[in-house]
Amino acid sequence: MWLRFTLVPILSMVLSGAASAYTAYVSNERSNTVSVIDTNKWEVVKTIKVGQRPRGIAYTKDQKYVLVAVGDDDTIQMIDTGTNQVVGTLPSGPDPELFVEAPDGKTLYVANEDDNTVTIIDIASRAQIGDIQVGVEPEGMGISPDGKVLVNTSETTNMAHFIDTSTRKVVNSVLVDARPRFATFKQDGSELWVSSEVGGTVSVIDPVKHAVQQKIEFKITGMRPEPIQPVGINITRDGKTGFVALGPSNHVAVIDGVTHKVVKYLLVGQRVWHMAFTPDEKYLLTTNGVSNDVSVIDVTSLKVINTIQVGQLPWGITMSQQ
Amino acid sequence: MNCGANRLVAAFVLLAVLFPGASLSLSPARAAGRTDSSWPCAQPKVPQMSIAAIWDGPPIADVGNAWENNPALKDLVVRLAARRTPLDDARKAIAGFITGDPAERQDKAKKLFAGLFDTLNQQRADVIRGIERIDQKQKDLAEKIRSDVATLRELQDKPEQDQSKISALASEVEWSTRVFEERRKTIRYVCEVPTVIEQRTFALARSIRQALD
Repeated sequence: MWLRFTLVPILSMVLSGAASAYTAYVSNERSNTVSVIDTNKWEVVKTIKVGQRPRGIAYTKDQKYVLVAVGDDDTIQMIDTGTNQVVGTLPSGPDPELFVEAPDGKTLYVANEDDNTVTIIDIASRAQIGDIQVGVEPEGMGISPDGKVLVNTSETTNMAHFIDTSTRKVVNSVLVDARPRFATFKQDGSELWVSSEVGGTVSVIDPVKHAVQQKIEFKITGMRPEPIQPVGINITRDGKTGFVALGPSNHVAVIDGVTHKVVKYLLVGQRVWHMAFTPDEKYLLTTNGVSNDVSVIDVTSLKVINTIQVGQLPWGITMSQQ
Repeated sequence: MNCGANRLVAAFVLLAVLFPGASLSLSPARAAGRTDSSWPCAQPKVPQMSIAAIWDGPPIADVGNAWENNPALKDLVVRLAARRTPLDDARKAIAGFITGDPAERQDKAKKLFAGLFDTLNQQRADVIRGIERIDQKQKDLAEKIRSDVATLRELQDKPEQDQSKISALASEVEWSTRVFEERRKTIRYVCEVPTVIEQRTFALARSIRQALD
């Protein structure tokens, strides 16, 4: 009898794929909510009411909280991942949009578009511990895997600013194409990719030489160039494949991480902006702001296998690591 | 201060609030996104939908207007394109229509998508033209209010004031301003309609693709 009771749940877990069940949190900019998605069911299992205009969203490294920038409330809210309740706030500057955590999980860097600064927050004490003067209208934020270099993009000057996190000083700036929106490093720190929404390109930057080594351009058959607006970028841990969300073109470009050539374009949902991998990198989820849904891409077959309706104007997404 | 003067002050305030420049008031960020002065919406003007942004099924270049020659298909297109048809019902109708062997299903899917795209793209273009027309009327009305207010000021500056004339013109300004404000609210609502049509087109196209898989 005990065997039956033991085997049945295990068998059902195996059959349902529960071993790979993760949780994704999606910020819905217009609904002022966060949708919680179970990746085992591919369903929204909870909707959390948050502050006004939620955009940037990320798990803390210890997985205890999901942080969400609620721009119109000038703060970052902390959602307890155990209870799915908002349990506190972090003191960002005005109108926070995007932020990035240091790899050690202790420090948060927040871009404040209105006052041209990056605010530094100590997550444990929930206190501001400094700020860095950066370019006009800071937007995208990336941090090197060793935590030593913070990159902030400036929408107005079209630059990626390299900041030494120990001295908190800008050490170099690299010119990219118009309206840089997002910056991310390869896991081995060898490349920094910066998307330019209006320029329609992704600049691949050598982070040591501080120089653009290649520009990725996009061309979708039958489409004018204007709607092809690169925003979110996700690169697999091995650096071999990159995915770029192309905004109102409704496509995600799949990039060969070595040659930087576009391998494929995938039609997802309308106005795709940000993405998150499941930790096993089997799936990539995309937020589609106009169709109000999340697309699920099978990373192996490079096919869209599912669509999940969420709130109004989904913007950002973060995924649990266990 | 007499009744006419009160109305004049109110009209000045409304004018300053409603159209500080020559056109409708828009925030600088939104205004920066506009490239066409006849376009009053915060959303960028995109005159036509793009098939490539909606459809990754078999190419429809060879379909032309073949869908119009099939009365049953034409009826289905009209029913699915109508926003009063709930999307769930539309999905069921699509699944019920795209049947048969693979070649037949593909042919039906292509024709149905072509019909829906043509119809909804046309609907959307009509809405865009309508928005431009309303915007032009709004600009004309703004000009009329501005001119009436100037006349009203002249009348009030005269040593011998004609109260009945002042009162009539002040009423006219008040009425025009009310119409202007109502229309401004309508424009804000109508500006959402092109996006609503794009959403519907995308959702229907996705259902057709799913029925093909």
